[in-house]
Amino acid sequence: MSLILRTTLPDFDYLLPSSLDELLALKAKYGERAAVIAGGTVLLNLIRLGFRYDYVIDIKGVRELSAIEYREGKGLVIGAAVTLRDLENNEVVRDKYRVLWDAVRQIGDFHLRNRATIGGNICNPTLQADTIAPLAVLGASIEISSMRGSRRVAIWELVKEGGGLLLDPDEILTRIYIPEPPKGSRGAYFKVWWIAGIAALAANIDNPRERIVRIAYSFAPSPKLVEGVERIFRQEKPLKVLIGDAINYIKTIVTPPSDARASREYREHLVEFGTAYLLRKLLGVEV
Amino acid sequence: MSSEFRYVGQPVKRFDVDKVYGGALFASDIELPGMLWIKLVSAPYSHARIKRIDCSEALKIPGVVAVFTGEDFPYKVGIYAADRDVLARGKVLYYGHPIAAVVAESLDIAEKAAETIDAEFEPLPAVLSIEEALSPRAPVIHERLGEYRRASFINPVPGTNIANRVKLRKGDAQKAMEDVDVVVEETYRSDPQSHAYMETWAGAATIRSDGTVEVWSSHQSPFAVRNLLAMSLGLPVSKIVVHHLYTGGGFGGKAGLLLEHIPVLISMKLGGRPVFLQLNREENFYYMAQKPGFLFKMKTGATKDGKLVFHIGEYYLDAGAYADYTVNVIRSSTFMATGPYEIPHIHVDGYAVYTNKVPTTAFRGFGILELTASFEQQMDILAEKLGIDPIEFRLKNALKPGVSITPTQEVLAEDAGDPAGVIRRAAELIGYHIPPQRSEEPWKVRGKGIAAAWKGPVQPPNAASSAIVKLNEDGSVDVLVGTGEFGQGTIIALAQIVAEELGIPVEKVRISPYRSTDLVPYTWQTVGSRGLYSDGQALIRALQDLKDQIKEVAARAFNVFKDEVEIRDGKACVVGKHSECIPLERLALGYTFPSGETIHGPIIGRGSHVPSGTTYLDPETGKGNPKPFVTFVAGGVEVEVDLVTMQVRVLKAVLVTDARIINPGLAEGQAYGGILMGIGLALKEAIGFDEIGALRNPSFLEYRLPRVEDMPVEMIFESLNVPQRNAPYGAKGIGELTALPWQAAIANAIYRAIGVRVKEYPITPERLLKAVKEQRPDILTELRKIMVGV
Repeated sequence: MSLILRTTLPDFDYLLPSSLDELLALKAKYGERAAVIAGGTVLLNLIRLGFRYDYVIDIKGVRELSAIEYREGKGLVIGAAVTLRDLENNEVVRDKYRVLWDAVRQIGDFHLRNRATIGGNICNPTLQADTIAPLAVLGASIEISSMRGSRRVAIWELVKEGGGLLLDPDEILTRIYIPEPPKGSRGAYFKVWWIAGIAALAANIDNPRERIVRIAYSFAPSPKLVEGVERIFRQEKPLKVLIGDAINYIKTIVTPPSDARASREYREHLVEFGTAYLLRKLLGVEV
Repeated sequence: MSSEFRYVGQPVKRFDVDKVYGGALFASDIELPGMLWIKLVSAPYSHARIKRIDCSEALKIPGVVAVFTGEDFPYKVGIYAADRDVLARGKVLYYGHPIAAVVAESLDIAEKAAETIDAEFEPLPAVLSIEEALSPRAPVIHERLGEYRRASFINPVPGTNIANRVKLRKGDAQKAMEDVDVVVEETYRSDPQSHAYMETWAGAATIRSDGTVEVWSSHQSPFAVRNLLAMSLGLPVSKIVVHHLYTGGGFGGKAGLLLEHIPVLISMKLGGRPVFLQLNREENFYYMAQKPGFLFKMKTGATKDGKLVFHIGEYYLDAGAYADYTVNVIRSSTFMATGPYEIPHIHVDGYAVYTNKVPTTAFRGFGILELTASFEQQMDILAEKLGIDPIEFRLKNALKPGVSITPTQEVLAEDAGDPAGVIRRAAELIGYHIPPQRSEEPWKVRGKGIAAAWKGPVQPPNAASSAIVKLNEDGSVDVLVGTGEFGQGTIIALAQIVAEELGIPVEKVRISPYRSTDLVPYTWQTVGSRGLYSDGQALIRALQDLKDQIKEVAARAFNVFKDEVEIRDGKACVVGKHSECIPLERLALGYTFPSGETIHGPIIGRGSHVPSGTTYLDPETGKGNPKPFVTFVAGGVEVEVDLVTMQVRVLKAVLVTDARIINPGLAEGQAYGGILMGIGLALKEAIGFDEIGALRNPSFLEYRLPRVEDMPVEMIFESLNVPQRNAPYGAKGIGELTALPWQAAIANAIYRAIGVRVKEYPITPERLLKAVKEQRPDILTELRKIMVGV
């Protein structure tokens, strides 16, 4: 047994399919022996530090996976290989899908966002996938494709309890579907390094019966959408009181992890006060 | 002083801009014909006996030239305590300790071969903290400690894990305990931290046909590399040439000998073939020495009128597996003992302690960072207990040049500087007594804090420098000095001195950043902010020599006496006669009379310097003069504590030093860099270890450096410009000074903001939350009321 800290990458075959069919055929053929690369900001480090694959399949050659499409009334479709920087620069994302935009712009720096992709971010939840929680509050679903066909699952179902992905060895995350957000909705993301991320979305704030408030947490490795918050906010009480009720409820539901980056105790503090901060900001409640 | 001089005191721009466009050469750029690559293989145990290393598979791989293990190189390496093995021998002493070196035609092959090396270990109980290391039952990490070569002033305790024990005794601290009204007893700690310089270490070596060892590497001090290679490997200095290139940052982490001995010894084994070792970032965390963690216990007493009476300290540095430089770092902490204050009775024991962790070394500040981080919190705590304003308390006890007795029992020199002045001015600039503006967000609370420090170079009494100045036939000059350039800008300041002395434009002065030990004159080391002071004085002597020769030649040309010649504006002129001048270019190679007769030949000045008056220290009391000069500094900050995230943001930082400045632009750059580094050390940076001693964060992914958004919104740097005697234009270096006050200043400011004192660095959000819960749980109750409503 010995410790080797590599500079060079070990050997693998690099494959660059130019169509979705070709991509899925390669993944079907090589399965777990093949890693999928988009921006490479995570994968290349993992390979250098010990992960081994015989094949690395680049999805950037498949044109449609780099597209952002918005259709009024239908929503947004984002290809898995769309870079974070492209999302940040997209006016629709900035104006209509604010919570996602707010999360994306807090990831890394410009250099990193120029390369890193939304698909890569979603598929690496062990590093805290900052896009999952915003996508969850937006009610997004993802398209998972293989030679066997495509399936759509809700974003928060992708990461299994404990951190594994729902993907089978022949499957690839191909697109993210985000429905049209509730009219007049606002969103914001609160982030503390790789320790915690909180996404919140709110709409119809002044009308309790139609009020929408959703909250999700980007804890590595298992992001969490807190169901039931909306019910609390449908009550006819002052917002200030509802925020308190919601946080007390959330504290019973969300049990953040303890790891090398932070203790559970510190994350619990962020859940309580970070959520309070975010909700006040979003709902326009003065302190 | 800007008006007196044309170049000295001016913000002359850096001329090493080739770094910006990629033209600068670093050790990583070295490529020698036929060069082989080295890859190190290390052990995944903190403390273990090596049972077997099987290299047979690696040797079968085409392109692999050789594999070496510890037994191939029976040398001990080091400067103050030669405790390092070239590669682990017998046992490994820390997680990541190199056990083998693979040599191959390419890095790719070397890395593949390295992965085939099969080693077997028998784990031993590991020592992972200072407390564990000091326990009488602790395993002894260096069993042969007593046999190591060491400097005469280093006192290891064989049979224990104490790499060096230092004593400082002044007055009678035990007895003085009876005469005080207030005593504060506290313990301060820090995790190990990293220099995090931009350029990871690289080094190449080859042996010339005449047996000369030639080395190119990333280091601070070329002559120290030469000297230590000679001393450690038993080679004559005459057979070693060390090449200094641009070095991408050092901060003390590249002082002395780094890993140069590895390529040198491997090249020797391979008949002189050029070999190259380049560390990646992860390897740099494992294989290069880091800043030690510390544990400083302090008990300090004062009378109710605010006079400091005694100080008792136990200062421990967590030296890791190899304590080489750290044994001297602890001397610096111990002998500077109590910061810039006079205390009549001092009793400090300093220890550098071996643990089974990553090796440690010097770091910007050389022990004074640790001292300041601790003692300046102690001062605030004492002031509060006494009910005296912290600034007033500091001023009351500040050292007085020419009067005060230092911890090492010398009268502080008259020209030492202005300790009270820097404190007073920093307090003024930060508006210490003006309450900070309230944040609009009630969960953000602001406070102001201050800290002061003193620092001088820690060097042996014979730490010498020398310089050569050559006058060129176009009137320009080439300056040869031995000091290393790794970003601090000393060579620009030296060029300004030359321009000033000769009255020539600074553009006509060339000081190459590249040097080789066989081509430039000697300097001891480039450490401790000594470059400008020591090499500067050697340079001024060289310039005097050069000017003397110029005057001699010009006097003969003018047919006057030598003292009737003056040098101004790049010309030698007869005093008082504007018409009778000869431009320097016409004197560079000697002077040619109209007849053709030529005198003197090329003009070359040379100068040397060695500090006077510094001595070895008494081993029992520390009495003596350890430093040629000291510099005083004070820093003030305004911080904002965010109670939601427990993150601390420094809004404003002010830095005041008393040193006279040659280049205010460069000094300001140093100050900004020092401030940001200090913020990282205070709030973010920690090398983490898991339960078996493996590094948790050996990369910039998880070793948290300060980023541009951590930079204070406002930064002010000022110098009181107090001239130092026997210094070039009265100037002193400030490289280390600028990083010193921030840890304690920030800790003190946090306390003044929220009444919570954190005595462990870095003050991470995690630690701050814990401290708030322990010391001021009411803050969270109140915050909950405001934000959550319950």
